[in-house]
Amino acid sequence: MGAYIARRLLLTIPVLVGILVITFLLTRLSGDPTDLMLPPNATDEAREAFRIVHGLDQPLWTQFVRFAGNAVVGDFGASLRFGQPAMTLVLERLPATAELAAATMALALLLGIPAGVVAAVWRGTSTDVSIRLVTLLGQAVPSFFLGVVAIIVFAVWLRWLPTGGRGSLGQLVLPAATLAFNLVALIARVTRSCMLDVLKQDYVRTARAKGVSETKVVWLHALRNAFIPVLTVIGLQVGLLLGGVVVTETIFSWPGVGRLAIQAIYARDFPVVQAVVFVFAVIFVAVNLIVDLLYAVLDPRISYR
Amino acid sequence: MHKALRSLLVASALLAAAGLAPAARAQAPKTLTIAQGFDPQTLWPNGTTASDNLNAGGAIVESLLWTNPATGKNEGLLAEKWEQTSPTTMKLTLRGNVSFSNGEPMNADAVVHSFRVFMDPKQAPAYANYAAALDKVEKIDDLTVAVHTKHPYPPFELMLTQVYVTPPDYWAKIGLEAFGQKPVGTGPFKLTEWVKDNRLVMERNSAYWGKGPSGIDRIIWRPVPDDTSRVAGFVTGEYDLATNIPISAIEEINNQPDRKVVETPSYRIFQLIQSSLEEHGSPLADKRVRQALNYAIDKKAIIDNLFAGRAFALNGQLLRKEQLGFDPSLKDYPYDPEKAKALLRDAGFANGFEIVFKFPSGRYAQDREVSEAIAGMLAKVGVRAKMTSLEPGEFLRQLRARELWPLAYLGLAPLDDPDFQLAQYRSTWRYSYIRNAALDELIDAGAKEVDRDKRAAIYRKAAQLMHDEAPVVFLFGGYDFYGVSNKLEGIVPRGDQRFFLQNVSLKP
Repeated sequence: MGAYIARRLLLTIPVLVGILVITFLLTRLSGDPTDLMLPPNATDEAREAFRIVHGLDQPLWTQFVRFAGNAVVGDFGASLRFGQPAMTLVLERLPATAELAAATMALALLLGIPAGVVAAVWRGTSTDVSIRLVTLLGQAVPSFFLGVVAIIVFAVWLRWLPTGGRGSLGQLVLPAATLAFNLVALIARVTRSCMLDVLKQDYVRTARAKGVSETKVVWLHALRNAFIPVLTVIGLQVGLLLGGVVVTETIFSWPGVGRLAIQAIYARDFPVVQAVVFVFAVIFVAVNLIVDLLYAVLDPRISYR
Repeated sequence: MHKALRSLLVASALLAAAGLAPAARAQAPKTLTIAQGFDPQTLWPNGTTASDNLNAGGAIVESLLWTNPATGKNEGLLAEKWEQTSPTTMKLTLRGNVSFSNGEPMNADAVVHSFRVFMDPKQAPAYANYAAALDKVEKIDDLTVAVHTKHPYPPFELMLTQVYVTPPDYWAKIGLEAFGQKPVGTGPFKLTEWVKDNRLVMERNSAYWGKGPSGIDRIIWRPVPDDTSRVAGFVTGEYDLATNIPISAIEEINNQPDRKVVETPSYRIFQLIQSSLEEHGSPLADKRVRQALNYAIDKKAIIDNLFAGRAFALNGQLLRKEQLGFDPSLKDYPYDPEKAKALLRDAGFANGFEIVFKFPSGRYAQDREVSEAIAGMLAKVGVRAKMTSLEPGEFLRQLRARELWPLAYLGLAPLDDPDFQLAQYRSTWRYSYIRNAALDELIDAGAKEVDRDKRAAIYRKAAQLMHDEAPVVFLFGGYDFYGVSNKLEGIVPRGDQRFFLQNVSLKP
């Protein structure tokens, strides 16, 4: 197990290096940040000074060598807009994003799994049909639309919740629910179809024949086996969740990494874009490693060597 | 598409809210909450020219003078008196008995230090335009400073409104970047808490030298990037002041009993670039074609239909009515497609021509809609526009690289002096798309003329020349919209999206 984890961690190194190279090149392809950072009628001297201060006057490969050398020790350079270290800016906002992502995931699991199980057990009934209808809708509605509707209904009409910001529990509800909506739908659908497969298996019939109560059969025997594909989906969804955070954080003025990312991209703030992509990549890789390890916990037949 | 859908949603929501709205959510009695689009990157005002930064930073760090939007005049702030002692020297008398909130005295040393930073393009690159004219600054006595320019400099006062005074010891100790995060100034407010991208809290500076705003103990600045969400938070009473209200939300806000929209004519002047440069070799090199396009565009239809009447006519020139050098004898080119066709025929384009038309998508309010309307009007006189939409960053790059030709939709908001406006059309200017020796001479003359009347005459001459040469299609000037609670009185935003708290009061 230890050797397996070590091997997996080693494998992440080329992935992260590749991501750094690609982000470096893509950001440079997008244009010169000087145009966006200084007013249109800035003098040539000021533009030149800005480029020198931020090393933008150097040839691309010199910039890359400097960037790579510093990135190895975790220094992603100073943000062009904020003047502060890019990594500090990202890490400062990471707790907010983590809080939102955790709340979203909790909400999605708490609603999605029971809904999927119920739909599978009562398949073909009106309950199943309505759950499937709602989940279809959930997967079809884009989050920017859902977010705006949520603000209008719950903040403006009903005045139950604030329109945005972070600090109170009330401010967490709307963005988490908006983000969770698609995820609930997906988890419910996957859970339902896996449960349908599992419920047909011999060991389920055996368990029933032994006289195990139906509740136990469904929620312990069947769900535990059906959960593995669901876990895979969750691992993959973390990527989408991080993407969704960008939109949702902007709509709800949530002070997280996603909002920083979108502003950095618009402003061509290269160091911040690189730091955000790197942190997101690390999270994505880590979550998927954890998911793989959880397989072994759920299913004793799986073991890693 | 989704923007339109959103506006519709907001509009219907606000209508409903107007019907069922209970009293606005109660707030701590003396707190002013302001929603802007973005969190400041720095609270040191000379760090950037972005209005969101300056509005917040300006409540803490003060400048030497300020342009009061209510009077349009430059008034003293940290400088009490300023007098021209020679064509290139301004003597400043500083306000006595003023301290920074850390106890350092605000005096000639602090001002000389602040100028030194201001004049260094490495530290204050965004202000190098003004600093370029500065020669040196010297201390005369504890409260007197002499500012020397390299040549007679008409926008001297305007420059002084841009110099923000910082405490030299604290600055030396903490450095430029850290100062922007923990600023210390002489202003009516002090920074108390800053949770990035979430809330920026300022408390009243009890030792403030002036009167300051009344009824405000605390300001909370909230960055709200999404228009819909900012409007929603303003309507529900989460914010007392909200910037950048979209046109689609104005009527509904004005229907609320306790809120209103304040409209401010913007410094931003919208125009179509018509490059007449030889190297660009387009039909626009012919003056008659450039004039024809001016006749072909129905400005009023655009203002009425796309901006609900909330934009102002330019009167066929680039300077605003309020500016020195505005020529009241000039009028807009009337909408006259027949005349446009006749001019095109004279120029040898009886069958019109095809031309690339570049416009930004997402930089200005409704930039795509305006550009589409323009293309439609051009088609009516036989000019077939090949529309090329550009992402805002790429749009700015092309502007500066002089690649935004032959035809492009542009809004420029230069600093509030005629020279800054017209210098953008001098043949040597980085993004000038006209080469005209007579115009260059007038621009140079205006830039150095300190006598107001003579200067105005020079700019009127330049305006007439530009009207006739038509290096651009004169379109319209925009408005900025602010949501303001009725509790907040005396707020007068300026055309550069700055607003000041000097004379405001907040009623309980």
